[in-house]
Amino acid sequence: MSNHHHDEEFRLNTPEFEQLNKKLERREFLTKTAMGLGAIAVGSLFGKSLFGKSGTAMAGSAGDTEQDILRAIPHFAPKAKRVVYLFMSGGPSQFELFDYKPKLATMAGQNLPDSVRKGQRLTGMSANQSSLPVVPSFFKFNQHGQSQTWMSELMPHTAQVVDDLCIVKSVFSEQINHDPAITFFQTGNQLPGRPSIGSWLSYGLGSDNNNLPTFIVLVSKNGQKDQPLYSRLWGNGFLPSKFQGVQFGSGKDPVLFLNNPEGYDGNDRKEMLDYLSKLNKLQNGAYGDPEVDARIAQYEMAYRMQTSVPEVMSTANEPNEAFEMYGPDSRDPGTYAANCLLARKLLEKDVKFLQLYHQGWDQHSSLPKGIAQQCKATDQATAALIKDLKQRGLLEDTLVIWGGEFGRTVYSQGKLTANDYGRDHHPRCFTMWMAGAGVKPGITYGETDDFSYNIVKDPVHVHDFHATLLHLMGIDHERLTYKFQGRRFRLTDVEGKVVKNILT
Amino acid sequence: MIFLNISTFSGHLHPLIVHLPIGFILLAAVFNILSYSKKHENLKSAVPVALLMGFISAVLACVFGYILSTSGDYDQNVLRHHEFSGITLAIISGILYFMATDHSGKMAFIPGKLFSIILVGLVALMSYSGHQGASLTHGNDYLTMQTLTRTVRDKPTSVDSAIIFEDVVQPILQNKCSQCHRDGKLKGNLSVESLQTLRKGGKSGPAVAPGKLNASELYKRITLDPDNKDFMPKDGKTPLTKSEVKIIKWWIENGDAISGKRIAELKNINIIIPELATYLGIGGVVLPAADERVSAQVTNPDIPMVTDTSLIGQLRKKGLMVRVMLRKPLMLDITLPVGSVIKAAEFKNDVIPLAKNIVWLNISGNNFTDGDLSFLKLFTNLEKLRLEKNPLTDQVSNNLIALKHLEAVNLNETKITDAAVINLKKNPAIKRIYTWGTGVRQVN
Repeated sequence: MSNHHHDEEFRLNTPEFEQLNKKLERREFLTKTAMGLGAIAVGSLFGKSLFGKSGTAMAGSAGDTEQDILRAIPHFAPKAKRVVYLFMSGGPSQFELFDYKPKLATMAGQNLPDSVRKGQRLTGMSANQSSLPVVPSFFKFNQHGQSQTWMSELMPHTAQVVDDLCIVKSVFSEQINHDPAITFFQTGNQLPGRPSIGSWLSYGLGSDNNNLPTFIVLVSKNGQKDQPLYSRLWGNGFLPSKFQGVQFGSGKDPVLFLNNPEGYDGNDRKEMLDYLSKLNKLQNGAYGDPEVDARIAQYEMAYRMQTSVPEVMSTANEPNEAFEMYGPDSRDPGTYAANCLLARKLLEKDVKFLQLYHQGWDQHSSLPKGIAQQCKATDQATAALIKDLKQRGLLEDTLVIWGGEFGRTVYSQGKLTANDYGRDHHPRCFTMWMAGAGVKPGITYGETDDFSYNIVKDPVHVHDFHATLLHLMGIDHERLTYKFQGRRFRLTDVEGKVVKNILT
Repeated sequence: MIFLNISTFSGHLHPLIVHLPIGFILLAAVFNILSYSKKHENLKSAVPVALLMGFISAVLACVFGYILSTSGDYDQNVLRHHEFSGITLAIISGILYFMATDHSGKMAFIPGKLFSIILVGLVALMSYSGHQGASLTHGNDYLTMQTLTRTVRDKPTSVDSAIIFEDVVQPILQNKCSQCHRDGKLKGNLSVESLQTLRKGGKSGPAVAPGKLNASELYKRITLDPDNKDFMPKDGKTPLTKSEVKIIKWWIENGDAISGKRIAELKNINIIIPELATYLGIGGVVLPAADERVSAQVTNPDIPMVTDTSLIGQLRKKGLMVRVMLRKPLMLDITLPVGSVIKAAEFKNDVIPLAKNIVWLNISGNNFTDGDLSFLKLFTNLEKLRLEKNPLTDQVSNNLIALKHLEAVNLNETKITDAAVINLKKNPAIKRIYTWGTGVRQVN
């Protein structure tokens, strides 16, 4: 019986294939008959004027096809081979963490001077406050490291690695609300629909490890989920869907449906997938849909991940010291600390772009309590990741990025009391840091005014950040483009300048 | 949505229609003259028909011509002459038709000889009008006595002796721009005919501002996205090639926009010589045009510029991770996967041909011994080397002392001791040595 199955590869003359057969015939008809030729003739007759773009497409200006664009990469020798981006979602306050403003102590409780605010619009959450009382950090700052960088007492562990960090105090964004601001940071545009940073990188650079996704996302389970995250933040936008980020979960199955179902040993899985892939290719021959290619690639990746993911997720081989370094949370899968440890393991496997999200930095009220909790959950593991990468020599070619989507206001949102206050969203200046491949260690770049309200030196826009990130990966941000709906798109849209002064 | 742009369409019909009256009226004149001979007497009756056709088509040509002229962009002086002579032509041909026709004997019949003289005069007027029209489309200097007597510049024999504007820039502009932008057909009020007119520019400002790329409208327009409505050349006309654009850019930045300057007298010629040589067709081996942005980056000059890149595919097939870090010169990052089946000797043979192109190498976790790694001496351009998790001892350091570009060595989880670090420090290039999980005790 079983031989019978393989007499012909596919039994196409069955009712199930009727649709596909019709499609094949119609295509053949169109391409091979006079109608097809006629259409070509009409097309060339009217050329550009009637069909607009098709004229230029036919002319095929050299150096513009996707292949040409990808072939030109890398545009310069990359400094970084992998990126881990620790996204602090919610907008961490710069005042309590990095941007030390001692002069605020003398002004505590006074109204924010108009000369600083300059009539700038506030969010609906604090615009109706009768006063905007300036509030200094509740937490103390001390100088650390050879670089004598001021760091808050909330981050004692990060303070230990401060000589490895390149702290940028003058980042600014255009978006004042969470979702558009995060979308802006992750995709270069405030509206959903563009590819995320990781997708651009996997599209432009490809993979260094065939057994794991190029772009992996980890969301901590122990961040306060007051502001949501959507999978489109690591989406592929208009790029082919195989370039989207793959989220690893924290439960029993880090990647869903990767384990074989009960009662199935998986022995003939490879044969089944090969056959399915042939079928899919047949289908694709008829429809020409790139989504079919993506699906084929994803099946194959999933098959390889059946062995590679359990291997990389297993912490059995990690010594006790590792858990001690990353902190007690690191034994609890899905926490930020456990994700940082996992991040190191994935980076060791040459995963190109890792995006960690930790939510809960949105302290509109009860900021001192809230931010202390956040730091407790993240500080040690963040510092441990830097130390761990450094001792393993991976900081040589790994870029670590830490930052949120915006900063917070110098004035208190809500009531200011002796030991409690809140801060509203403030996109006009905030702090991020980078460390590792290609960035200068132990420096601080950019300055804000005494109120950390306006930037006084070296502003760095979100687009500039993206341009710099691509530069470190060997890509000229102006030349990695993708044509969609008649327009060429870039991660940096039509802007962005590489911040040369922070590069080694 | 398709808009029928009737006025532009019919305006563009003018150059087509305009040839009909030329043919008909010339035919009428030829028939009229031939009819003087006995043999062709019968042609006389064909003259009025030819004139009528000439008249009708001349009127049509006038109408379409008028529509075309409303698009502007023409030398108004020449246009006025063309317009006036064309309309006169149409009117006279109409009058002549009526004169040639016997309207039941009521019309005054003009003498045959006078008719012929007027008809020949009409042909002369037509020639004049036609010449004016041609001057509008092809330029005042298209058909002149100078065309007959003009001398062509000799082709320069070397790049250095070529004159930048006359030999290079002007021919590019004449080839690609002057169909629309020249004296007589000043689209956008711009002529590219001379340096003066280029600097004067057109409606949108100076076409060329010496040394100031941003202020040079010409450069802006030719480098826009081809789909932009301001992109030049318009309407699907052949755009400038990449190297032509590069030459123009370089000329604006360095050429001072002075005529008669030899290329050798200018600054920064090295970056543009390959393009200039190709453009001028001056022989020798033309180097591949190095990308400017890439060449701005300082790369190690010891890395060979020419490499057999087909080897990369072979290595990948074998399971090695080969990452191209730069194409010119070829810089590679090669990773031998941890626990690979490829043994040291085989690996060595596979990568030796690319040894000088490998700048990052990762052979960690592959059970390599000190002896296996003697081939590292040949990898003289290595910058980053990962040897961790191999059973290596202090001996391995001897292979690395002479690598003068080596910046970082990862010897984590090997059997090395302080002796290796001390030895490695003899190599002044090495900045970072990773010794985590080894017997190294001293701080380095």
